[in-house]
Amino acid sequence: MARRQGADGDLIEIDRVIHEPARLLITAHLYVVESADYVFLMQNTGLTWGNLSSHLSKLEAAGYVEITKDFIERKPHTMVKLTSEGRRAFDAYRRQMKALFDDLPG
Amino acid sequence: METRPGLREIERKAWLRTFEHGLWDIAIGLVLLSFGAAILSGFYWLSPIWVAALIPSMRDLARRLIVPRIGHVTFMKRRQRSTARISLVLFVLALAGGGVFLFTAWSTRGAAPEWVGWIRSHFLIVIGLIWGGALVAGGWAADFPRLHAYGALVFLTLLGSDLSAGYNLGHALTAVGGLITLIGVGLFVHFLKRYPRQPIEEIGEADG
Repeated sequence: MARRQGADGDLIEIDRVIHEPARLLITAHLYVVESADYVFLMQNTGLTWGNLSSHLSKLEAAGYVEITKDFIERKPHTMVKLTSEGRRAFDAYRRQMKALFDDLPG
Repeated sequence: METRPGLREIERKAWLRTFEHGLWDIAIGLVLLSFGAAILSGFYWLSPIWVAALIPSMRDLARRLIVPRIGHVTFMKRRQRSTARISLVLFVLALAGGGVFLFTAWSTRGAAPEWVGWIRSHFLIVIGLIWGGALVAGGWAADFPRLHAYGALVFLTLLGSDLSAGYNLGHALTAVGGLITLIGVGLFVHFLKRYPRQPIEEIGEADG
Protein backbone atom coordinates (compact mmCIF):
# COMPACT_ATOMS: atom_id res chain seq x y z
CA MET A 1 0.00 0.00 0.00
CA ALA A 2 1.39 3.40 -0.98
CA ARG A 3 0.86 6.69 0.80
CA ARG A 4 0.03 9.77 -1.26
CA GLN A 5 -0.43 13.40 -0.43
CA GLY A 6 -4.14 14.33 -0.51
CA ALA A 7 -5.45 17.64 -1.86
CA ASP A 8 -6.27 18.94 1.63
CA GLY A 9 -2.92 17.91 3.04
CA ASP A 10 -4.18 14.72 4.71
CA LEU A 11 -2.40 11.53 3.92
CA ILE A 12 -4.56 9.18 1.91
CA GLU A 13 -3.69 5.54 1.58
CA ILE A 14 -4.18 4.27 -1.93
CA ASP A 15 -4.26 0.54 -2.55
CA ARG A 16 -2.04 0.10 -5.59
CA VAL A 17 -3.19 -3.47 -6.17
CA ILE A 18 -6.65 -2.10 -6.97
CA HIS A 19 -5.55 1.31 -8.28
CA GLU A 20 -3.97 -0.08 -11.49
CA PRO A 21 -6.59 0.59 -14.29
CA ALA A 22 -6.98 -3.00 -15.54
CA ARG A 23 -7.26 -4.39 -12.01
CA LEU A 24 -9.69 -1.63 -11.08
CA LEU A 25 -11.84 -2.70 -14.03
CA ILE A 26 -11.66 -6.35 -12.98
CA THR A 27 -12.48 -5.67 -9.32
CA ALA A 28 -15.32 -3.30 -10.31
CA HIS A 29 -16.89 -6.06 -12.43
CA LEU A 30 -16.40 -8.67 -9.73
CA TYR A 31 -17.78 -6.30 -7.09
CA VAL A 32 -21.20 -6.09 -8.77
CA VAL A 33 -21.64 -9.85 -9.29
CA GLU A 34 -21.26 -12.90 -7.07
CA SER A 35 -18.85 -14.71 -9.37
CA ALA A 36 -17.83 -14.79 -13.03
CA ASP A 37 -15.65 -16.87 -15.32
CA TYR A 38 -12.68 -15.81 -17.44
CA VAL A 39 -14.70 -15.43 -20.64
CA PHE A 40 -17.19 -13.11 -18.94
CA LEU A 41 -14.38 -10.98 -17.53
CA MET A 42 -12.61 -10.84 -20.89
CA GLN A 43 -15.76 -9.78 -22.73
CA ASN A 44 -16.70 -7.15 -20.16
CA THR A 45 -13.29 -5.65 -19.48
CA GLY A 46 -11.85 -5.93 -23.00
CA LEU A 47 -8.65 -7.48 -21.62
CA THR A 48 -6.81 -10.28 -23.41
CA TRP A 49 -6.41 -13.71 -21.85
CA GLY A 50 -2.77 -13.03 -20.94
CA ASN A 51 -3.47 -9.65 -19.37
CA LEU A 52 -6.46 -10.91 -17.45
CA SER A 53 -4.58 -13.93 -16.19
CA SER A 54 -1.62 -11.82 -15.06
CA HIS A 55 -3.78 -9.26 -13.22
CA LEU A 56 -5.92 -11.95 -11.60
CA SER A 57 -2.75 -13.62 -10.30
CA LYS A 58 -1.79 -10.35 -8.60
CA LEU A 59 -5.26 -9.93 -7.13
CA GLU A 60 -5.19 -13.54 -5.96
CA ALA A 61 -1.76 -13.05 -4.37
CA ALA A 62 -3.17 -10.06 -2.46
CA GLY A 63 -6.01 -12.25 -1.24
CA TYR A 64 -8.60 -10.14 -3.08
CA VAL A 65 -9.96 -12.82 -5.42
CA GLU A 66 -10.61 -16.51 -5.12
CA ILE A 67 -10.08 -18.60 -8.26
CA THR A 68 -11.71 -22.00 -8.40
CA LYS A 69 -11.34 -24.55 -11.19
CA ASP A 70 -13.85 -27.26 -11.88
CA PHE A 71 -15.03 -29.30 -14.84
CA ILE A 72 -18.32 -28.83 -16.65
CA GLU A 73 -19.06 -31.67 -19.08
CA ARG A 74 -15.37 -32.70 -18.88
CA LYS A 75 -14.21 -29.22 -19.91
CA PRO A 76 -12.16 -27.07 -17.52
CA HIS A 77 -14.05 -24.09 -16.16
CA THR A 78 -12.53 -21.34 -14.02
CA MET A 79 -14.66 -19.14 -11.80
CA VAL A 80 -13.44 -15.97 -10.10
CA LYS A 81 -14.95 -14.41 -7.01
CA LEU A 82 -14.08 -11.34 -4.97
CA THR A 83 -13.19 -12.43 -1.43
CA SER A 84 -14.59 -10.59 1.58
CA GLU A 85 -11.14 -9.04 1.99
CA GLY A 86 -11.24 -7.93 -1.66
CA ARG A 87 -14.71 -6.48 -1.17
CA ARG A 88 -13.53 -4.55 1.90
CA ALA A 89 -10.45 -3.30 0.03
CA PHE A 90 -12.58 -2.13 -2.89
CA ASP A 91 -14.99 -0.34 -0.53
CA ALA A 92 -12.04 1.36 1.17
CA TYR A 93 -10.59 2.33 -2.22
CA ARG A 94 -13.93 3.87 -3.27
CA ARG A 95 -14.12 5.88 -0.07
CA GLN A 96 -10.53 7.07 -0.42
CA MET A 97 -10.94 8.15 -4.03
CA LYS A 98 -14.24 9.87 -3.27
CA ALA A 99 -12.63 11.74 -0.37
CA LEU A 100 -9.71 12.72 -2.59
CA PHE A 101 -11.86 14.09 -5.44
CA ASP A 102 -14.55 15.62 -3.24
CA ASP A 103 -11.80 17.76 -1.82
CA LEU A 104 -11.17 19.51 -5.15
CA PRO A 105 -12.25 23.18 -5.22
CA GLY A 106 -15.14 24.20 -7.53
CA MET B 1 -24.79 7.99 -26.18
CA GLU B 2 -22.84 8.89 -23.11
CA THR B 3 -23.05 6.38 -20.30
CA ARG B 4 -22.31 6.93 -16.65
CA PRO B 5 -19.23 4.89 -15.79
CA GLY B 6 -20.55 4.02 -12.33
CA LEU B 7 -20.78 0.60 -10.68
CA ARG B 8 -24.53 0.49 -11.28
CA GLU B 9 -23.98 1.06 -15.00
CA ILE B 10 -21.26 -1.62 -15.11
CA GLU B 11 -23.64 -4.09 -13.48
CA ARG B 12 -26.56 -3.17 -15.74
CA LYS B 13 -24.41 -3.42 -18.87
CA ALA B 14 -23.24 -6.88 -17.83
CA TRP B 15 -26.86 -7.86 -17.08
CA LEU B 16 -28.18 -6.60 -20.44
CA ARG B 17 -25.39 -8.43 -22.26
CA THR B 18 -26.95 -11.69 -21.07
CA PHE B 19 -30.06 -10.77 -23.13
CA GLU B 20 -28.23 -9.84 -26.32
CA HIS B 21 -28.43 -13.38 -27.71
CA GLY B 22 -32.15 -13.15 -28.50
CA LEU B 23 -33.07 -16.62 -27.19
CA TRP B 24 -35.59 -15.15 -24.76
CA ASP B 25 -37.16 -13.27 -27.68
CA ILE B 26 -37.31 -16.46 -29.74
CA ALA B 27 -38.91 -18.32 -26.80
CA ILE B 28 -41.58 -15.63 -26.30
CA GLY B 29 -42.23 -15.43 -30.04
CA LEU B 30 -42.57 -19.20 -30.37
CA VAL B 31 -44.96 -19.39 -27.41
CA LEU B 32 -47.26 -16.81 -29.05
CA LEU B 33 -46.79 -18.46 -32.45
CA SER B 34 -47.75 -21.84 -31.00
CA PHE B 35 -51.00 -20.39 -29.63
CA GLY B 36 -51.77 -18.84 -33.01
CA ALA B 37 -50.96 -22.05 -34.87
CA ALA B 38 -53.04 -24.07 -32.39
CA ILE B 39 -56.08 -21.86 -32.98
CA LEU B 40 -55.69 -21.90 -36.76
CA SER B 41 -55.14 -25.66 -36.94
CA GLY B 42 -57.59 -26.63 -34.20
CA PHE B 43 -54.97 -28.80 -32.43
CA TYR B 44 -55.22 -26.95 -29.09
CA TRP B 45 -53.51 -29.74 -27.14
CA LEU B 46 -50.27 -29.18 -29.09
CA SER B 47 -49.63 -25.76 -27.56
CA PRO B 48 -48.96 -26.75 -23.89
CA ILE B 49 -46.76 -29.67 -25.02
CA TRP B 50 -44.82 -27.29 -27.26
CA VAL B 51 -44.34 -24.75 -24.44
CA ALA B 52 -43.29 -27.47 -21.96
CA ALA B 53 -40.65 -28.73 -24.42
CA LEU B 54 -39.50 -25.27 -25.51
CA ILE B 55 -38.24 -23.78 -22.23
CA PRO B 56 -35.81 -26.64 -21.26
CA SER B 57 -34.59 -26.77 -24.90
CA MET B 58 -33.84 -23.05 -24.84
CA ARG B 59 -31.92 -23.42 -21.57
CA ASP B 60 -29.85 -26.24 -23.07
CA LEU B 61 -29.20 -24.18 -26.21
CA ALA B 62 -28.11 -21.21 -24.07
CA ARG B 63 -25.68 -23.43 -22.11
CA ARG B 64 -24.13 -24.83 -25.30
CA LEU B 65 -24.04 -21.70 -27.47
CA ILE B 66 -24.14 -18.64 -25.24
CA VAL B 67 -21.88 -19.46 -22.27
CA PRO B 68 -18.80 -20.28 -24.42
CA ARG B 69 -19.21 -16.86 -26.07
CA ILE B 70 -20.00 -14.42 -23.29
CA GLY B 71 -19.02 -16.53 -20.32
CA HIS B 72 -20.80 -17.54 -17.18
CA VAL B 73 -21.76 -15.13 -14.43
CA THR B 74 -23.70 -15.43 -11.22
CA PHE B 75 -25.40 -12.15 -10.47
CA MET B 76 -26.33 -10.90 -7.03
CA LYS B 77 -29.54 -12.20 -5.44
CA ARG B 78 -31.61 -9.25 -6.74
CA ARG B 79 -30.78 -10.14 -10.34
CA GLN B 80 -31.24 -13.87 -9.76
CA ARG B 81 -34.79 -13.10 -8.69
CA SER B 82 -35.25 -11.14 -11.94
CA THR B 83 -34.37 -14.22 -14.01
CA ALA B 84 -36.94 -16.21 -12.09
CA ARG B 85 -39.49 -13.49 -12.87
CA ILE B 86 -38.93 -13.82 -16.64
CA SER B 87 -39.57 -17.57 -16.39
CA LEU B 88 -42.69 -16.69 -14.41
CA VAL B 89 -43.83 -14.35 -17.21
CA LEU B 90 -43.50 -17.17 -19.77
CA PHE B 91 -45.39 -19.46 -17.40
CA VAL B 92 -48.15 -16.85 -16.95
CA LEU B 93 -48.36 -16.47 -20.74
CA ALA B 94 -48.80 -20.20 -21.12
CA LEU B 95 -51.31 -20.37 -18.27
CA ALA B 96 -53.29 -17.39 -19.56
CA GLY B 97 -53.40 -19.04 -22.99
CA GLY B 98 -54.82 -22.23 -21.48
CA GLY B 99 -57.28 -20.16 -19.47
CA VAL B 100 -58.43 -18.34 -22.57
CA PHE B 101 -59.14 -21.58 -24.41
CA LEU B 102 -61.13 -22.93 -21.47
CA PHE B 103 -62.98 -19.62 -21.17
CA THR B 104 -63.85 -19.71 -24.86
CA ALA B 105 -65.26 -23.20 -24.54
CA TRP B 106 -67.25 -22.25 -21.41
CA SER B 107 -68.53 -18.91 -22.67
CA THR B 108 -70.08 -20.42 -25.81
CA ARG B 109 -72.58 -22.28 -23.59
CA GLY B 110 -75.97 -20.63 -23.17
CA ALA B 111 -75.79 -20.17 -19.36
CA ALA B 112 -72.95 -17.63 -19.39
CA PRO B 113 -73.70 -14.30 -17.57
CA GLU B 114 -74.04 -10.94 -19.37
CA TRP B 115 -70.53 -9.67 -18.68
CA VAL B 116 -69.19 -12.74 -20.42
CA GLY B 117 -70.98 -11.57 -23.52
CA TRP B 118 -69.13 -8.25 -23.34
CA ILE B 119 -65.79 -10.02 -22.94
CA ARG B 120 -66.67 -12.32 -25.83
CA SER B 121 -67.41 -9.35 -28.08
CA HIS B 122 -64.09 -7.71 -27.12
CA PHE B 123 -62.22 -10.97 -26.80
CA LEU B 124 -59.01 -9.87 -28.56
CA ILE B 125 -58.66 -6.72 -26.46
CA VAL B 126 -58.95 -8.77 -23.25
CA ILE B 127 -56.30 -11.23 -24.46
CA GLY B 128 -54.12 -8.32 -25.58
CA LEU B 129 -54.36 -6.76 -22.13
CA ILE B 130 -53.48 -10.06 -20.38
CA TRP B 131 -50.50 -10.97 -22.55
CA GLY B 132 -49.33 -7.44 -23.25
CA GLY B 133 -49.61 -6.62 -19.54
CA ALA B 134 -47.70 -9.77 -18.56
CA LEU B 135 -44.87 -8.85 -20.93
CA VAL B 136 -44.70 -5.24 -19.74
CA ALA B 137 -44.74 -6.39 -16.10
CA GLY B 138 -42.01 -8.94 -16.91
CA GLY B 139 -39.92 -6.24 -18.60
CA TRP B 140 -40.24 -4.03 -15.56
CA ALA B 141 -39.52 -6.83 -13.08
CA ALA B 142 -36.52 -8.17 -14.96
CA ASP B 143 -35.13 -4.83 -16.19
CA PHE B 144 -35.42 -6.22 -19.75
CA PRO B 145 -36.56 -3.23 -21.90
CA ARG B 146 -37.47 -5.18 -25.07
CA LEU B 147 -40.30 -6.89 -23.18
CA HIS B 148 -42.06 -3.51 -22.89
CA ALA B 149 -41.99 -3.15 -26.66
CA TYR B 150 -43.24 -6.73 -27.12
CA GLY B 151 -46.04 -6.12 -24.63
CA ALA B 152 -47.12 -3.03 -26.56
CA LEU B 153 -46.82 -4.92 -29.86
CA VAL B 154 -49.00 -7.79 -28.62
CA PHE B 155 -51.65 -5.40 -27.30
CA LEU B 156 -51.68 -3.21 -30.42
CA THR B 157 -51.84 -6.20 -32.78
CA LEU B 158 -54.77 -7.71 -30.90
CA LEU B 159 -56.47 -4.32 -30.61
CA GLY B 160 -56.04 -3.80 -34.35
CA SER B 161 -57.42 -7.26 -35.01
CA ASP B 162 -60.42 -6.55 -32.78
CA LEU B 163 -61.16 -3.31 -34.62
CA SER B 164 -60.81 -4.82 -38.10
CA ALA B 165 -63.28 -7.54 -38.97
CA GLY B 166 -60.98 -9.45 -41.30
CA TYR B 167 -58.66 -10.92 -38.66
CA ASN B 168 -59.10 -13.37 -35.83
CA LEU B 169 -57.06 -14.34 -32.75
CA GLY B 170 -55.20 -17.11 -34.58
CA HIS B 171 -54.00 -14.80 -37.34
CA ALA B 172 -53.06 -12.04 -34.89
CA LEU B 173 -51.05 -14.32 -32.59
CA THR B 174 -49.32 -16.01 -35.50
CA ALA B 175 -48.34 -12.61 -36.91
CA VAL B 176 -47.06 -11.11 -33.66
CA GLY B 177 -45.40 -14.38 -32.53
CA GLY B 178 -43.73 -14.72 -35.92
CA LEU B 179 -42.49 -11.14 -35.81
CA ILE B 180 -41.00 -11.50 -32.29
CA THR B 181 -39.41 -14.83 -33.29
CA LEU B 182 -37.86 -13.16 -36.35
CA ILE B 183 -36.50 -10.31 -34.20
CA GLY B 184 -35.05 -12.96 -31.85
CA VAL B 185 -33.46 -14.88 -34.75
CA GLY B 186 -31.95 -11.63 -36.05
CA LEU B 187 -30.52 -10.84 -32.61
CA PHE B 188 -29.21 -14.41 -32.30
CA VAL B 189 -27.41 -14.30 -35.67
CA HIS B 190 -25.94 -10.89 -34.80
CA PHE B 191 -24.85 -12.26 -31.41
CA LEU B 192 -23.10 -15.29 -32.97
CA LYS B 193 -21.20 -12.99 -35.34
CA ARG B 194 -20.31 -10.46 -32.63
CA TYR B 195 -19.19 -12.98 -30.03
CA PRO B 196 -17.14 -15.82 -31.48
CA ARG B 197 -16.67 -18.93 -29.35
CA GLN B 198 -13.77 -18.43 -26.91
CA PRO B 199 -11.46 -21.44 -26.60
CA ILE B 200 -10.13 -19.73 -23.51
CA GLU B 201 -10.10 -22.59 -21.02
CA GLU B 202 -8.07 -24.76 -23.38
CA ILE B 203 -5.55 -21.90 -23.85
CA GLY B 204 -5.42 -21.48 -20.11
CA GLU B 205 -4.73 -25.15 -19.58
CA ALA B 206 -1.99 -25.10 -22.23
CA ASP B 207 -0.36 -22.10 -20.60
CA GLY B 208 -0.36 -24.01 -17.37
